Amino acid sequence: MAKVTEITVWTRGVVMDKEARDIANAFAQAAKKEGKFVQAFDNYEDLPDRVLVTTRKYVRISDEEIEMKYLYTNNHPDVVVIVEPTIIKGINVLRGMPEGGLLVINTNRQIDYMLKFIPNADVLGAVATVDADGISGIRTVDFSGSEGGVDAAGLGAGIAAPILGAMAKVTGMVKKENLAKIISDVAAMDRGYNEVKLQRFRKPRAEYFWGG
Amino acid sequence: MAIKIPKDREVPFGAITPAPVRQQELFITSNWRIVRPVIDHEKCTRCLTCYTSCPDSCWSYNEKEDQMEWNWKFCKGCQICINECPADSLTAVPELDFEDGVIRLEKPF
Repeated sequence: MAKVTEITVWTRGVVMDKEARDIANAFAQAAKKEGKFVQAFDNYEDLPDRVLVTTRKYVRISDEEIEMKYLYTNNHPDVVVIVEPTIIKGINVLRGMPEGGLLVINTNRQIDYMLKFIPNADVLGAVATVDADGISGIRTVDFSGSEGGVDAAGLGAGIAAPILGAMAKVTGMVKKENLAKIISDVAAMDRGYNEVKLQRFRKPRAEYFWGG
Repeated sequence: MAIKIPKDREVPFGAITPAPVRQQELFITSNWRIVRPVIDHEKCTRCLTCYTSCPDSCWSYNEKEDQMEWNWKFCKGCQICINECPADSLTAVPELDFEDGVIRLEKPF
């Protein structure tokens, strides 16, 4: 079985729930357009219906068919995306991450300042930050979208678009052009793609590309 | 001799709380917070509006020091106290501005 790349998106319940779900769905759809096998799903053991509670969304990408379909959590995430930066103070977000993984944070603060709150940062291969709040200016897009009802805003509006652009550049797993076909706010995605800041810590392993 | 409870008979997390206690240490929820209420003790009139309005009883009056005390472990940053304070002594400050208050739980709950 080929390597399955696991991506975990951490977010806050209700207020930033749709944005994180869009990140998972749009990233998986863009990878699928490139012929990859993907899985994307919402939280399973978290409490997404409570405001501000930390919840997770999951993506899996592989070159071959993914066989782990009855496992609902990413136990060894290669990429961790933090939609709301305060989460790093309250949760050990790097739990289970293999050596050389990638952390993407939506923040306008310095990378060194954020690393103060991550004592186990030595497993990281790279940290990327993108100021998605500053780029899109809107944090909560649509409450109704979180309930699986009408999704008037479309996939990837608000802070999801810049974060997706940053992920596309740093992970190199999907092309920007394929993302642009899926998400609604292409201008914000371009800005996220161009404005992402990356700090590498060590030589990444052969299967990892934390470029930029 | 200690009683051995089979794994499937154990009560769920948080079902039994030792009493009497003022807080349940097993159920810390401070990682829900994005902003933190910061009190200005000069402006505060000790009217206890924050104490009565807080849904999680995170404000208490310290008689010895004659000032309000904030419980960081259970404040969820709902900002009700900030809106209710008649003396405007509370302000919302982003949680990331502070280096304390780190709990880093292994799971969301």
